[in-house]
Amino acid sequence: MTTTERPRVPVPARDRKPFYLGVVVVAVVLGAAHVGAWRVTEFSPGALVDGWHGMIRFLGEALPPDLDWASVVQPGLEACLTTLAIGLLGTTLSVPAALLLAVLGTRGRNRVVYQVSRSVMSLLRAVPDVVFALIFVTAVGLGPFAGVLALICHNVGVMGKLWSEAMEEVDPGPADALRVAGARESQVVANAVLPAVVPSLVGLLLYRFDVNVRSSLVLGLVGAGGVGFLINQSIQLFAFDEMATYILMVLVLIIAVDLLSAAVRRRLAE
Amino acid sequence: MISYDRQAGGSRPLPACPTPPEQQLTPLDTALSVSGLRKSYGDRQVLKGVDFAVAPGELVVLLGANGSGKSTALRCVVGLAEADAGEIRLAGRRLRGLGGAELAKARRAAAMVFQQIHLVRRRSALDNVCAGGLAGLPLSRSLAPAFFPRELRERAMACLQRVGLADRAHDRAGSLSGGQQQRVAVARALCQGAEVLLADEPVSALDPAAATQVMALLAELARRDGLAVAAVLHQPDLAREHADRVIGLVDGEIRLSCHASALSESDIDALYQSEDS
Repeated sequence: MTTTERPRVPVPARDRKPFYLGVVVVAVVLGAAHVGAWRVTEFSPGALVDGWHGMIRFLGEALPPDLDWASVVQPGLEACLTTLAIGLLGTTLSVPAALLLAVLGTRGRNRVVYQVSRSVMSLLRAVPDVVFALIFVTAVGLGPFAGVLALICHNVGVMGKLWSEAMEEVDPGPADALRVAGARESQVVANAVLPAVVPSLVGLLLYRFDVNVRSSLVLGLVGAGGVGFLINQSIQLFAFDEMATYILMVLVLIIAVDLLSAAVRRRLAE
Repeated sequence: MISYDRQAGGSRPLPACPTPPEQQLTPLDTALSVSGLRKSYGDRQVLKGVDFAVAPGELVVLLGANGSGKSTALRCVVGLAEADAGEIRLAGRRLRGLGGAELAKARRAAAMVFQQIHLVRRRSALDNVCAGGLAGLPLSRSLAPAFFPRELRERAMACLQRVGLADRAHDRAGSLSGGQQQRVAVARALCQGAEVLLADEPVSALDPAAATQVMALLAELARRDGLAVAAVLHQPDLAREHADRVIGLVDGEIRLSCHASALSESDIDALYQSEDS
């Protein structure tokens, strides 16, 4: 097959020299940042090795898990349902506000409206849901309701941002086509932008549901009910075998939610 | 008055081709007339004073190399680009001086078909065609296809029938072939009820058979339905076969305007020469 062989051609010199200095600077800065982080976090593999028997004792107390039905498993299952319910309502009830902010916060519209809705979303995102939970507990008392309210507030910010980014990535062609046909902006959104992005919006919604169920565990730690509350309680009572049971339940719950959302997303992608 | 004989517009004169008898068209006869159209992007002048007109019942094809300004001219007419200077008349109305709702209403006299088709792929062909008629609807009836009034759906069905796809009304647009999708896009433009149909490279993404079919449809919409059709093309052969008149642009100026039958090989070579020489 000598016919396919071609003579060598020298590579022409490039005008622009590769920027070696830039690479060095980036490497030095990154290296310094990691050294600093190592110190700030008191990272010490030695301490981990020295303290291994502490972990063994802890695991020894946690295993085997306490599987007593009446005192552990049944309340655990009920609490799991509460956790799931907090995550579900916290996600669903944040949809209207998130959609509104996402549409208003998509580039290419009125600049003031865009900036205001972006700022609102940033604010909601910046305040952790645990902080929202503490605020709402002062209003409605301890319990799952405070958890739902906290999730709604935080999730509007996060989901609004994810959704507006998905909308910005959508092909502007169909929207242009409808504008040429004389459609108003709201009609363009309803008939060109939304139909094109609905699959990715639903995918992101399911992802947020997944995250919110896990967040509602943490909210349980600050008194918002659910299985997180039970985990916190069992740790405070040094009942590590009970805690192990609850953590196993959480594991099953998270995997189930993950499988469910993955299956729905697969169907949507078809 | 609009003249079609601006052939000696640059350094390289083109061979003369017969000037069409429509030269005496007045703006009142034409569905679309453009005069002195100028447009720059930054330092680059894309349109350097372009004049052309399209009468009801004729298919005019705009030819020219990439970057010669053909598509920009059409985009200025429908408002996807804003012209720097020049006058555009649509269905007898001057666009200059109009604003807001009046301008939008006047522009509705022109519909557009795109190279990338721009259908909503997840929606049915019929729902996509309905979207062409949204302009007259109140918001409450236009938020989702389920709310579209029956009158609109039946008008859209008639448009689908006109392009020969009535049997595919409920198929998802994304499941249709490229040629069928472009015909659905033409139906959407028809549903707008415009007198002028603009097509920006409508067949560039299609195979030859589908391209011929779409061009034949555009020609028929001009001749039988009396629309004024202007199409940007990259295939001189298709222009010769289907168009009534051909307008050639070089570097933002009209260098050629003649009957499609009079278009010669040397005319075509001259249009595409400047790019690589």
